[in-house]
Amino acid sequence: MAKKLLEIKNLKQHFNVGKKNEVRAVDGISFDIYQGETLGLVGESGCGKSTTGRTIIRLYDATDGEVIYDGVNVHAKKSKKELKAFNQKMQMIFQDPYASLNPRMKVLDIIAEGLDIHGLVKSPAERTKRVHELLETVGLNPEHANRYPHEFSGGQRQRLGIARALAVEPEFIIADEPISALDVSIQAQVVNLLKELQEEKGLTYLFIAHDLSMVKYISDRIGVMYFGKLVELGPAEVLYSKPLHPYTQSLLSAIPLPDPNYERNRVRIGYDPKSHNYRDDDEVIMREVTPGHFVLCSEREFEQMKKNSTTV
Amino acid sequence: MEKIIEVKDLELSFHTFAGEVKAIRGVNFEVFKGETLAIVGESGSGKSVTTKAIMRLLPESSTEFKNGQILFDGKDLLKTSDKDMQKVRGKEISMIFQDPMTSLNPTMPIGKQIMEPLLKHQKLSKEEARRKSIELLSLVGMPQPEQRMKQYPHQFSGGQRQRIVIAVALACNPKLLIADEPTTALDVTIQAQILELMKDLQKKIETSIIFITHDLGVVANVADRVAVMYGGQIVEFGTVDEIFYNPQHPYTWGLLSSMPSLDTTEEKLYAIPGSPPDLLDPPKGDAFALRSEYAMKIDMEEKPPLFKVSDTHYAATWLLHPDAPKVDPPAAIVERMKKFPGSRYYEGSAGGGR
Repeated sequence: MAKKLLEIKNLKQHFNVGKKNEVRAVDGISFDIYQGETLGLVGESGCGKSTTGRTIIRLYDATDGEVIYDGVNVHAKKSKKELKAFNQKMQMIFQDPYASLNPRMKVLDIIAEGLDIHGLVKSPAERTKRVHELLETVGLNPEHANRYPHEFSGGQRQRLGIARALAVEPEFIIADEPISALDVSIQAQVVNLLKELQEEKGLTYLFIAHDLSMVKYISDRIGVMYFGKLVELGPAEVLYSKPLHPYTQSLLSAIPLPDPNYERNRVRIGYDPKSHNYRDDDEVIMREVTPGHFVLCSEREFEQMKKNSTTV
Repeated sequence: MEKIIEVKDLELSFHTFAGEVKAIRGVNFEVFKGETLAIVGESGSGKSVTTKAIMRLLPESSTEFKNGQILFDGKDLLKTSDKDMQKVRGKEISMIFQDPMTSLNPTMPIGKQIMEPLLKHQKLSKEEARRKSIELLSLVGMPQPEQRMKQYPHQFSGGQRQRIVIAVALACNPKLLIADEPTTALDVTIQAQILELMKDLQKKIETSIIFITHDLGVVANVADRVAVMYGGQIVEFGTVDEIFYNPQHPYTWGLLSSMPSLDTTEEKLYAIPGSPPDLLDPPKGDAFALRSEYAMKIDMEEKPPLFKVSDTHYAATWLLHPDAPKVDPPAAIVERMKKFPGSRYYEGSAGGGR
């Protein structure tokens, strides 16, 4: 197995702590991300998937828990210099390609901003050359460097966002709903680009999305979140073919597929958190049902799931 | 079957600083009683503009109707006066918009907003309108409708707000309901609930629906018939089975193959290259030709007419011309066609659905 690049241990992100309106956006989740893989994170809006991504990259300071990147705790006290080195390894691609690019900056300066901050280029000529290379990598023309963001379409802007993330040669990229704002035909282009870049540069992705069919396509493993908790985590194929947690089953049964015959016969499964009937002394934690497939469950449910998975 | 609305040769342009945007370039379709017609296409393909033209919601200062008719109830909506149009909107034809966050008035209790069309169009007394509103709220599945009447939009979740919008739209039992991406802003589980609700209500009140979306999964779920729009034109239309299992236009092929199905395993996703055409200067021939690997010389020169595939299925592509070379669609499409009796790849009744 590849080495662990990122270890997330009992991460918590609470907002308005101690006030009446305290929100436990992320409430104690743990998972690992291995080098070179794509981990998909899915769930409904408000389940904390974006907050998880933002906390990992330290856009928020975690309330509790640890994010260990390559053996170093990200949230521990750090000098500016250490932080800078860390920032270079981890980059983010945002959801909204309209809001995430400064409309007053030229493409050249947007993409080169990271290069300047980390002192990766020595001369203006090298800077321009590097930006041109990056534009070509993401399928745009070098001539585009002198334009402003408003001159680009949504798909092209998302390519600019990807080029900016790649500029500092990161190892790990958090893609927060990178295709949600794009048209269907353009989504496929961007997803293919992300896949190609991963192969070329050996990147590791955390891919956050609510479009479950795209997530399955791009991810090696998938985590399902519900109300700030990770309820199921497993290899993409297994999770889709044998979902174990009732919430995952409900989520999967709600996806409309481009197949009228299937749609006519689709049965939607509802999910009621009360259906678990957890007793006060039940310990509800992540348990490994089959190798690599974790489910949030109580001891009782765990036994049941194990029994079912061996009989099937 | 009874035709509810008929759009004939609709052509319209917007005048902008950059020039004339030819947003709709000859669109024809009709909607029958009780059916759902889905219009699919990318942003900028003209699907929303078409329906806004039906509702006459386009800015008059910059919109120019160049040609065509929209026949509803025997009259041409394009020639109807503003005053008469107000009697149509919300009563005969109503609309559900994409964003439930902005289509309700934040300063008004929701009860008042549901009562509005009832008071205006049906001339009910306040007490009657109130009772009818409560009925409507329970019809769309809102718990405790009476208490909820006094609450404001911000006190509801996105899915609940869309339910309220549907209640407002259905208040006067419209003959035609236009739903412009009604579930795009919602989560999948909520989306499934809203779609079920709409289908349920359609059965109850026998309204016809024009459903606009770019999500082919949703189309497969709700539609009886489908029209595929590209570059301001309808490039293919047919029953939902014909479009999904026997598509003929290369753009429809592209759309269907660029969506990963849950059981795809192929390494690379099919992507339509390039981006949609610029309607300031629309291409001369087939608007999709520049992005199509199936384009022929004639596609660059002459716009293809609608070729008949079956009585209900038409597609605007030169590939259907008797003299055109026989090409094979992408593999994923051939797979789909194998299931469809009447397509040239049909393999008997072996598989059936999943």
